[in-house]
Amino acid sequence: MTEASPQFLLSPGPHLRSGLTTKQIMWWVNVSLAPIFLWAISIYGVRVVWVLVSGVLGALFAEGFVNKCRHQKQTLGDGSAVLTGILLVGTLSPGIPIWMPFTGSFVAIVFAKMLFGGLGYNIFNPALIGRAFLMATFPLAMTTTWLKARPGLFFPPDAVTQATPLNILKMEGLTSAVKTLGLGSKFYGELFLGLRAGSIGEVSVLLILLGAGLLLWKGIIKLPIPLSILAGLGLIAIFSKVPLFHLLTGGVWFGAFFMATDYVTAPMSPKAQIIFGLCVGLITGVIRLWGGYPEGICYAILIMNAVTPALNRWFRPSRPKWEGTPS
Amino acid sequence: MNTFLRGGVSFFDDQKSQTSHKPIERFVPKEVTIPLSQHLGEPARPIVARKQKVMRGDCIGEAVSGGVTTGGTPIHASVTGTVKRVALQPHPLLVESLAVVIETDPNAAETVWEEVPGWMDLPKGKMLEQIASAGIVGLGGAQFPTYRKLKLPEGVKVDTLILNGAECEPYLTSDHRLLLEMSLEVLQGAKLIAKILGVSKILIGIEENKKDAADVLRIAITKQHTSPSPKVVLCQTRYPQGSEKQLIEALTGRVVPPGKLPMHVGVMVQNVATAVACYQAIRYRRPLLDRILTVSGKGILEPKNVSVPIGTLVSDIVTFCGGIHQRTNKVIVGGPMMGRALGRLDIPVIKGTGGLLFLRAEEVRKEIYGPCISCGRCLEACPLGLEPNQISIYTEAGRSLDTESFGTKECFECGSCAYVCPAVRPLVQFIQIAKKSFQTGSQFGLARPEQNL
Ligand code: SF4
Ligand code: SF4
Repeated sequence: MTEASPQFLLSPGPHLRSGLTTKQIMWWVNVSLAPIFLWAISIYGVRVVWVLVSGVLGALFAEGFVNKCRHQKQTLGDGSAVLTGILLVGTLSPGIPIWMPFTGSFVAIVFAKMLFGGLGYNIFNPALIGRAFLMATFPLAMTTTWLKARPGLFFPPDAVTQATPLNILKMEGLTSAVKTLGLGSKFYGELFLGLRAGSIGEVSVLLILLGAGLLLWKGIIKLPIPLSILAGLGLIAIFSKVPLFHLLTGGVWFGAFFMATDYVTAPMSPKAQIIFGLCVGLITGVIRLWGGYPEGICYAILIMNAVTPALNRWFRPSRPKWEGTPS
Repeated sequence: MNTFLRGGVSFFDDQKSQTSHKPIERFVPKEVTIPLSQHLGEPARPIVARKQKVMRGDCIGEAVSGGVTTGGTPIHASVTGTVKRVALQPHPLLVESLAVVIETDPNAAETVWEEVPGWMDLPKGKMLEQIASAGIVGLGGAQFPTYRKLKLPEGVKVDTLILNGAECEPYLTSDHRLLLEMSLEVLQGAKLIAKILGVSKILIGIEENKKDAADVLRIAITKQHTSPSPKVVLCQTRYPQGSEKQLIEALTGRVVPPGKLPMHVGVMVQNVATAVACYQAIRYRRPLLDRILTVSGKGILEPKNVSVPIGTLVSDIVTFCGGIHQRTNKVIVGGPMMGRALGRLDIPVIKGTGGLLFLRAEEVRKEIYGPCISCGRCLEACPLGLEPNQISIYTEAGRSLDTESFGTKECFECGSCAYVCPAVRPLVQFIQIAKKSFQTGSQFGLARPEQNL
């Protein structure tokens, strides 16, 4: 060549790639959660924004801090720390003291993610560890700060606390719940749309489905895990006389579509995913009906996270046997 | 629609439209550099010297060493001209190899190929001999000497010949053009190979994105009225359909077990371009002299399908194709999935070179990778059911010798897994490292990469 020979990249093949990168996946999940949080702000007030900021800052601070201590390259841009913060906030009640989400996220990132080696190496879903930690240390603040849903009231003059439907059912029993809540189609409609007291992320089944739809369309999540969780819970809920009540309340939808589908902590093969999901659903139901907590999805997912490595080992891709070297 | 049983990837845009409508153009450079190593194994021994005049088709490298054949193939002069030197030259795969540089004589007359009398009914051994002395190797990229592949070991019988016209790599269209423009030669070649193997069933596998080629072939087949009559089978467009084992699955449903060859399930696969070469060798005793290849990508100004003498330098082809764009970031010899990046352009085209791609930065996968996030996409994409994620994790941790149960040995490096990996992990390279460590018996590891995805 006569002209100066240009420099060419010498990286190995394949030279093409498809689909989203890790970073893009994380940010898409963050985006898909936006409608849910906007709705929560509109019904519980602007306070939710501060709860969210607190949670996300806690996660970012923790990850940055650990990376710094270990002289690692910063990983904040990959969106996974932000996601953990947002997911944790989704499981909290809107009236929670502002410093708590920060603490929860910090613990979640440091102990459940970074100490295991960072993204990809953790066993438990960090956001759920954060919630379990807060539940264990500040049970009162975690269980009494639910707010009444007042749509459109971005700046409510006062916060009105109200127990969640599941709490009422657990604490006061079925007959009393029927009296207080009505359990008619209007009640179930409100559950579906999200006009009730509850955790920030769990209120509106409709918006959860919207976000999940986006992720399904983008090929980021797949249906086996969420559907089998709902099926598993449904199976148990039949024993409760109010199966629909159980299926529409609590963080089941949020957990099924956004928590249990976390790649790192869920099994990979479709068969294992169905078993994983069914077990999560069954355990959730058992905790709710016979356990001490009104809610159960958080612990159910954490328990099954622990089984994931074993499931991955049992359900490996099958392939024909090696039959000697070619002649 | 026929396709292989598991895994694989579909391309959103296979980029073939850049060249699929362009007829094959002939280009003869002023000088060719013919490497004496064009297949696995020992290089051919040069039998020409500086200043010697050679004719197109003359043998310039013998596949013998110390009086015995090496199991390789001879090398021929692809142009008429004068030998300038026999020296070490850059090589697309081996970095460097001994090569014969010939200056083309621009006034040389076209070589005339005389028909071998009774070529259609030559005995099987004679046909094989002509294929061997024509220096034919698998033109799909494997470059294994064809006469050796066609010589079945005692006791092994095949019942089906498959012609591979899948051309599943994006960008490449040279086989497509070959099917359109030389369908009769392809069919003749198929018939001759079937005769050598003694099989009566011929299947021609073509991907759906080349329907026109399939139509042309079908018409040619009905015109010929000969038996055995080949059957054209359209397959779903899916990578790596052009890999032997996948194509066999797609066309016959037979699964070649790991560690076995197609002939063990009664099948022989030959590339369509190889079939044409065999036909020319048997009918005219014409050696393998030219290579049809696709020159494509957004980095080349005039993408084309070209037919060039073997030994043509990439830089000459670039000039013939209008030059390269200034934003060209990567040059690949072969397809974008399994091809290799070139660092320089003074590299010759060899027998197995199916394409030259000039890619701009936006067409190229970026190579900064992060940790595996266990998304399972690679498991879904692997056509063999291997576990590239595990191989990469073990190798990264310095335990490459413990990866055998994940299928390291079986991997044929198609790259489907790395293509879909969201963490952009170089899974194929991890597998290559692990394979290497089996050979040397020592653990290989890799320093933990910077995680700045
Ligand atoms: S490169 Fe190997 S491991 Fe990856 S998909 Fe292809 S055969 Fe499977
Ligand atoms: S595709 Fe990449 S990130 Fe996903 S499991 Fe395979 S190696 Fe891990």
